[in-house]
Amino acid sequence: MRQYDAIVIGAGNGGLSAAVQLLNAGKTCLVCERHNLPGGFATSFVRGRFEFEASLHEFNGIGTPENPGSARTLFRELGVDDKIEWIQLKDAYHLLSMKEEYDFTMPFGLEAFAEASEKLIPGGKAHMERLFSLGRQIRSAMDYLSESKGKPDPKVLMEKYPDYLNCGSYSVKEGLDAMGFPQIIKDNICAYWCYLGADCENLSFLHYINMFYSYISGGAAIPKHRSHELSLAFETRIRELGGDIWYNSEVTNILTDSAGHVNGVRLKDGTEIASRHVVANCSPHVVYGQLMDPAAVPERALKLTNARKFAGRGFTIFLGLDRSPDELGIKDHSYFIYDTCDTVRQYKSMSVFQDNSVQASVCLNRADPDCSPSGTTILYMTTLFTSDIWSTVTEEDYFEMKNKVAASMIKRFEEATGTSIHDHIEEIAVATPETYARYCGHPQGTIYGYESQYRDGLMPRIMMVEEDHFVPGLRIGGGFGERLLGFPSSYKSGVNEARRTLRDMEIEGE
Amino acid sequence: MIFQKSPIPGEDAKRFFQIVPERRKMIDEASNEPLPVTYKVNELAKALHPGTFPARISAIREETPDVRTFTLVPAGSKTSFPFFRAGQFITLTSRIDASLVTRAYSLSSSPKQALAGIYEVTVRRAGLFSSWLIDRSAVGTVLMVGEPSGDFYHDNLRDADTVVAVAGGSGITPFRSMIHAILEGSENFNLVLIYGARTRRDIIFKEELEDLSDKRIRVIPVLSDEKADGYDYGFITADILKKYAPEKASFFLCGPDAMYRFVDGELVKLGIAGKYIRKEHNAVADRIMSNPKVFTLNVRIRDQKYSIPALENETLVVAMERAGLAAPSRCRSGVCGFCHSKLISGAYSVPEGHEYRRSADFKFGFIHPCCTYPDSDMEIDVPTV
Repeated sequence: MRQYDAIVIGAGNGGLSAAVQLLNAGKTCLVCERHNLPGGFATSFVRGRFEFEASLHEFNGIGTPENPGSARTLFRELGVDDKIEWIQLKDAYHLLSMKEEYDFTMPFGLEAFAEASEKLIPGGKAHMERLFSLGRQIRSAMDYLSESKGKPDPKVLMEKYPDYLNCGSYSVKEGLDAMGFPQIIKDNICAYWCYLGADCENLSFLHYINMFYSYISGGAAIPKHRSHELSLAFETRIRELGGDIWYNSEVTNILTDSAGHVNGVRLKDGTEIASRHVVANCSPHVVYGQLMDPAAVPERALKLTNARKFAGRGFTIFLGLDRSPDELGIKDHSYFIYDTCDTVRQYKSMSVFQDNSVQASVCLNRADPDCSPSGTTILYMTTLFTSDIWSTVTEEDYFEMKNKVAASMIKRFEEATGTSIHDHIEEIAVATPETYARYCGHPQGTIYGYESQYRDGLMPRIMMVEEDHFVPGLRIGGGFGERLLGFPSSYKSGVNEARRTLRDMEIEGE
Repeated sequence: MIFQKSPIPGEDAKRFFQIVPERRKMIDEASNEPLPVTYKVNELAKALHPGTFPARISAIREETPDVRTFTLVPAGSKTSFPFFRAGQFITLTSRIDASLVTRAYSLSSSPKQALAGIYEVTVRRAGLFSSWLIDRSAVGTVLMVGEPSGDFYHDNLRDADTVVAVAGGSGITPFRSMIHAILEGSENFNLVLIYGARTRRDIIFKEELEDLSDKRIRVIPVLSDEKADGYDYGFITADILKKYAPEKASFFLCGPDAMYRFVDGELVKLGIAGKYIRKEHNAVADRIMSNPKVFTLNVRIRDQKYSIPALENETLVVAMERAGLAAPSRCRSGVCGFCHSKLISGAYSVPEGHEYRRSADFKFGFIHPCCTYPDSDMEIDVPTV
């Protein structure tokens, strides 16, 4: 039987980064991917004369080559950064909210953002400066937490990061209320909420501000060749390091020995491969519910998994338009279009087809004018569904339903931005939760992992990462991991789980 | 202090250190019921996209002397086939002598028939696989079917309410599916079918088309080699298109490349915008050369290595099929990306009109073997199937 030091299940972001980390440490490693491409959500597809990005709106934490952000630093350590061409985004976002009649374009950069906030309301600048100094402290505390491997010294936390501690158990709403910001400032700060996908009464303040601060201070970038470039950069690195990567090779079983330790995997075609260590880049629901023999799943793993809540199920429209952004009047790269900035109401509206009025839309040409032929535009519109409403759709109704939802989102975009695009659709693809389930296998088509909530948010997950480890030889990383969803988090999670695997190997004397 | 919520000093921090015990409590109180082994949305995904599945030929009908319609029914435990969009294609795979051959065929049956367990493909005797189907398969023969795919279908957000379908010869097949889809209500648009055939005898589905009486569908046969009463004669020119097309229409073309070249020119005369013209992709043909060389193609599939001959005038997929390798093959026109493979070494060419790789594929050296001709010895790493 073939044997590897470690097997990675899934060539998604977390799987690819885990594999590179393991190979960099000199281990032998096989990546098994069910699809015919690497990347999971990090991919692209071609329709006619357009190449569409599958999922990435903006990548946070890249920074500049001179002043690298945390993600670029990680990519350098892994040896993939020099394979990727980044394009820096100019503005942060354009917020359009109907009820409050908001129409703001906000820049990246702490100072610029604070100045722009002053224009929203007198005193806005001072409010933002206060939030940013909290953001800075959260950032340093998170670094400390990483160094302490999830076991921070409470004394250090209390002395050096008191505000971090003070805000750490509150929701976004509680946190912003406690800081005494006026409504317009709170609403504007919450613009990014749909990137984490829990409403602001549930979403962890600390987690949100950490992300918000990171975006505004460090800016965001996109890879020149869509996120397929990221995936192929990792793929190429894996090959360079002597790793193996098998496509169309779905793992159906994680095998364990009589002591409950991992000892291999079985593929769909029956092939068995031996390994004492597996990093699974998929959800614990799939790992414990589908890949493992139920008898080998510890009760606590079952209970934790049952306790968790799936986050948003994805829905995206990909449009290739036969006019330029100038001709169409599309001004910005990134739009958040809401009916209201009341996120609890928004979250609820996203549970049914007809009421979903949230969209994050991206005009790729505004970041990269050369992304499509001259005189054309690439436009994406994304929303989440916060319920399993798509499971009520039958095979026969499916195509009609996806275009119905898409039509209303396109109309909403037109109304909010004052543009007219429906007569210029040359190519259209619509991805629903069914599509995400198909390509990545995540339960119910969730694209955001487990929802960020008070008891299952970033902090408790990080602090309990060893407690959440149940099966010897098995680590689970990626968007369902302790860093939660998002591109940078998934790559980081994969690396972290690979490091833990290396430590497991050391302890086991391998 | 930047952040303080509770007026009681130390209370906020105390609350922070409570999160972990709270989370432990959450786990303590959770159910230990077995986890679901499946989810409804994932089941729908699997129903629509099952990958490959076996089907049995249940009937063979002669349409014209060299055209047959094959009726397929599920060969496994299933009673239905995946639903699809009228105009999509499936692949059929069979071992033919030492080769393992896959070809794409538009479905000529309707989407609702699929749910009743019926797919039909209508095949003209031409290349290796269609000749094998017509001459060597029989009722009872089992084939592997690849799930419906392709984007040659009417999309109400993209296309006009009327489709002017321009069909050449066996290019009629996706439009037959569309006609039945309109009749059964699974598609909703008007169809003007302009069907180019050599003579009346070459019209596939002739009686069926003549019997149609639905105001949403109009059929205009155009004969190129025969003058007959009630038939337009000649090529499908701008005049003919103008005569039958309404003001606002999408033009869907399915037929040989020569027809595309001609009709494209005619559509330019009419000033039709590109977004209203869609063509079904044709499979890559052999490249024409007098003395094709034979190169060595080294193929890696997982940890297996094969060294096989590759003719200079044939694509890499054909070389792998000839060698009997199980290599991915779907659209054979370059557009679907199913055969996406790593190029290890060697020089190659991609025929014009078949370059649909992603931009990062060029940067990192990935190819679509179904539309890649070898220009030297080559080595590639191909996904298994």
